Amino acid sequence: MNPPQPPTLPRLILRLLGDPDTRDAQLGDLHEEYAERYAYDPRAARRWYTRQALGSIAPNLGRRASRADRALRSHAAGDGTMTTIWRDLKYALRGARKHPAFTAVVVLTLALGIGANTVIFSAVHGLVLSPFPFPEPDRIVGIGSAHPRLGGDLNFFENLSPLEFVDIRDQTRTLEDVISWDMGNRQITGPEGIPDNVRTGFFWGDPLRTLGMEAHIGRSFGPDELADRDAVMLLSYEFWRDRYGADSTLVGRALIMDEHPHTVVGVLPPGIDIYGMELWTLMSAPPERFDRNRRQFQVMGRIRDGVTLREVNTELAGLAGRTAQEYTSEFEEYEGWVLQAQTWNDVSTQSFRGGVFIVMGAVGFVLLLVCANTANLLLARAQGRRREMAVRTAMGAGRGRLLSQLLTESVTLALLGGILGMALAWIGVEAVDGLLARSGLPVAGRVSVNGPVLAFTAAVAVGAGIIFGLVPAFQTSRTEISETLQSEGKATTSGASRQRLQRGLVGLEVALAFVLLVGGGLLLNSFVRMNAVEPGFQTENVLTMRLTLPRQEYEGQAVPAFFQRLNERLEAVPGVRSVAAGTQFPPMAFSYRRIWHEGADDSEGATLPFSQTTIVSPGYFETLEIPLRVGRTFAVTDEAGSPFVAVLNETAARRFFPGQDPVGRLIQLGSADPEQPSFQVVGVVGDTRNRGLDQDPFPEVFAVHSQIGGIQNQLFVMLRTEVEPSSVLPAVRAAVQELDSDQPVYAIATVEERFAEAAGTRRMTTLFLTLFGVFALALAAVGIYAVVSYTVSERTQEIGLRVALGADGGRVRRLVVRQALMPVVIGAAVGVGLSIPLGMALEQLLFGVSATDPLTLASVATVLVGVAAAASWLPAFRASRLDPVEALRSE
Amino acid sequence: MGKGDFLGEFEQVVLLAVAHLKGDGYGMTVRKEIARRTGREVTIGSVYATLSRLEEKGLASSREGEPTPTRGGRARKHFQIEPAGARALQASRGMLDAMWDGAPVEAPERS
Repeated sequence: MNPPQPPTLPRLILRLLGDPDTRDAQLGDLHEEYAERYAYDPRAARRWYTRQALGSIAPNLGRRASRADRALRSHAAGDGTMTTIWRDLKYALRGARKHPAFTAVVVLTLALGIGANTVIFSAVHGLVLSPFPFPEPDRIVGIGSAHPRLGGDLNFFENLSPLEFVDIRDQTRTLEDVISWDMGNRQITGPEGIPDNVRTGFFWGDPLRTLGMEAHIGRSFGPDELADRDAVMLLSYEFWRDRYGADSTLVGRALIMDEHPHTVVGVLPPGIDIYGMELWTLMSAPPERFDRNRRQFQVMGRIRDGVTLREVNTELAGLAGRTAQEYTSEFEEYEGWVLQAQTWNDVSTQSFRGGVFIVMGAVGFVLLLVCANTANLLLARAQGRRREMAVRTAMGAGRGRLLSQLLTESVTLALLGGILGMALAWIGVEAVDGLLARSGLPVAGRVSVNGPVLAFTAAVAVGAGIIFGLVPAFQTSRTEISETLQSEGKATTSGASRQRLQRGLVGLEVALAFVLLVGGGLLLNSFVRMNAVEPGFQTENVLTMRLTLPRQEYEGQAVPAFFQRLNERLEAVPGVRSVAAGTQFPPMAFSYRRIWHEGADDSEGATLPFSQTTIVSPGYFETLEIPLRVGRTFAVTDEAGSPFVAVLNETAARRFFPGQDPVGRLIQLGSADPEQPSFQVVGVVGDTRNRGLDQDPFPEVFAVHSQIGGIQNQLFVMLRTEVEPSSVLPAVRAAVQELDSDQPVYAIATVEERFAEAAGTRRMTTLFLTLFGVFALALAAVGIYAVVSYTVSERTQEIGLRVALGADGGRVRRLVVRQALMPVVIGAAVGVGLSIPLGMALEQLLFGVSATDPLTLASVATVLVGVAAAASWLPAFRASRLDPVEALRSE
Repeated sequence: MGKGDFLGEFEQVVLLAVAHLKGDGYGMTVRKEIARRTGREVTIGSVYATLSRLEEKGLASSREGEPTPTRGGRARKHFQIEPAGARALQASRGMLDAMWDGAPVEAPERS
């Protein structure tokens, strides 16, 4: 095993602050002892390391200081560089202390900008750009397919059949390894005899070789095992660690899977999360044994060295064309079908990459804003220092001298901001990682602080601080000293251009803040509207869990019989009001079928409408409290022998039987087929938001478990409780155990939690954009305040004169505020223009709000102008209270 | 040896640890030696601050070892005591002994 990495932050701090002479030796010693301690107790080792590293800071700094001090003294005779730097530094720190508000604002905004950017870019890097630890991620591709005849989009999940996989594997010249797999939950019994339900992949081919990786311990599948499709398995690192305590003796031993021993040959490297598979084994049947249209497999390949993705896709297109020619007469769906490869990164991040990139764009805006704001603050302060600089120049300080002093000051400020920003980034990344782990989003990667990103954002923000900190030195050298000294705050040429720059920066800040606020506002608005949507049934107090009955033991009617018995037991649990079972429940939709209905134009094929097909126990509607509209729901008398019956939701009823009474009509699952049973519609129930609150209700057909349940061995159990749902869980588990001690329950969640998960990406994007919007607003307010304050101080005399000539306070305030608002209004107008493309980018995430929602635009504009007015009112108020005598004398 | 050149308590502790380790000591072993003999867990930073001060005064000297992977590729810095260091330790001890000699200091037992 590799030596463990010590905790990053303490290590970085020590590296940053350590005495350069012995820093490496210290880090090395700590590393060495850490590794010893880690083997014994990893958590304690981390704590120890952190304590050691942090405790070492003070002695290291002391050592550095005493060394610097000595260097200083040895140079003290001449005006040595060290002395000068030391003096500049002291001066800088004194200045920072003397203007605590200014210092705090600059340092904090820099820190927040750096921190936020690092967090977001680290998240993007970890989740979207390289969520997998594959050594050459660009060479690993998933192969997707689309069947225009079936009306489907490009799909990478359960999309290809074994024979299609064989076609690809045998004909490709651009891929060097092609594997395929099916997934399912299997019962695994380990050495201690307790069964687990484990997400298992069944492979053809060697997945580790395709990924270009080696087993963490043990080995991958051997050539003979692959050829004979032996009973061998690989465990995911996380499963091995969490379930078996990283027991390395497991390799070589057997686990029981569905009553057959399978030898564990190895453990996967950490971080290989492919659809959550915990156990990777070999498919026992050869692919040739399956039907050509049994499309429930994924296919992955490894691109040959030097071949491009485009070449792979050209080849796949040719292959798809040949297959279509050969088989379309037999399988109509091949007509015009598409095969397309995408990198596995892209495949696995499709569902949320949109949201992530929006957040990334937004945080880029925040960084820009931070830079503008820092520039603005420093420019404002530069104004106040022109006189100081002029005096120094007059006293003989060269331009280089002034520059070096200002540089020290800017660097000090910028570094303070940078260090704080790194700390914030660290904390933020940990928080985001935790948040994501609990969010239920289908994320494979983990988020950790991304070094290059941190360096980049820190460099940009700090660089901006430094550059703008130097302005007064350049300004001074450009203006005549005597002029500056005499003019004392009156506008000079450079002052005018500086003011223009400042107003421009304020305008920019306002425009950026506007865009961020509009984004946050639109999403927040969508979120509120979405949460106001009625789900169509009572979502509170419903606990759900999943059970999978092994096919060897439960066949045909044994499955519904088991669930019937389970129902009876669970209804007896105190606190449970009623119980039902079903293959899916809102908003979890997996199962769609084409539906033939009486009156359909076409008896089979592509024009038949799609519908969700849900197989339920009789009490399903009553338990979820889905209202009955017409006819009846299922009854216990709907048995295996009696006529097949179906219930439709309102959308399905409207779609299949527009303007007619659906009760008594016939439908079939799939195309019309005299061999297959017809279902008589007996009732219509209310629509539920069966694909999530933000989607319209989809047609849904319900059949009853006792009639066709035998083929469905995997069901959710739903319990309507009278108490807090999770409180009944222990009793529920016990009831299941009593019935069949081998059956674990899993995927436990309340219906409300499932709805929250379905909105995961949206919630995350909304949260971030709103936060950024608020931060942007605060930055803009600070920028405006700074500019107005200095404008006012610049115009003290003029204002004093106005007051002396009889202008009242209100008039002065209006004057100042009006002038301050000019750039704000212009910025807001630019912001309106910028928010139109933004709204379009957000379109996908909007719900019930248009991308150019006038109400949102208007409220953002109002808030911004209001905040700007408030920010400028304070200095305006001070101006209006000026004592004219004092003001005029201030020269 | 001039005034002010007496060793501080921690300097003595560190220098003695170096002496005990017979030329092979480096930060980690010095730290552990101190912990083993005195029960005090000291930080690596304070050990090195002291070691490099001692080196500066010519009381100890150091040499670089080979970098190893268990140390994240960083080299060890081995310390050994110099004759001047041995003299300074002796002087400190002599001073303390001289002061202790016959001093009526009794610490009451801790309850």
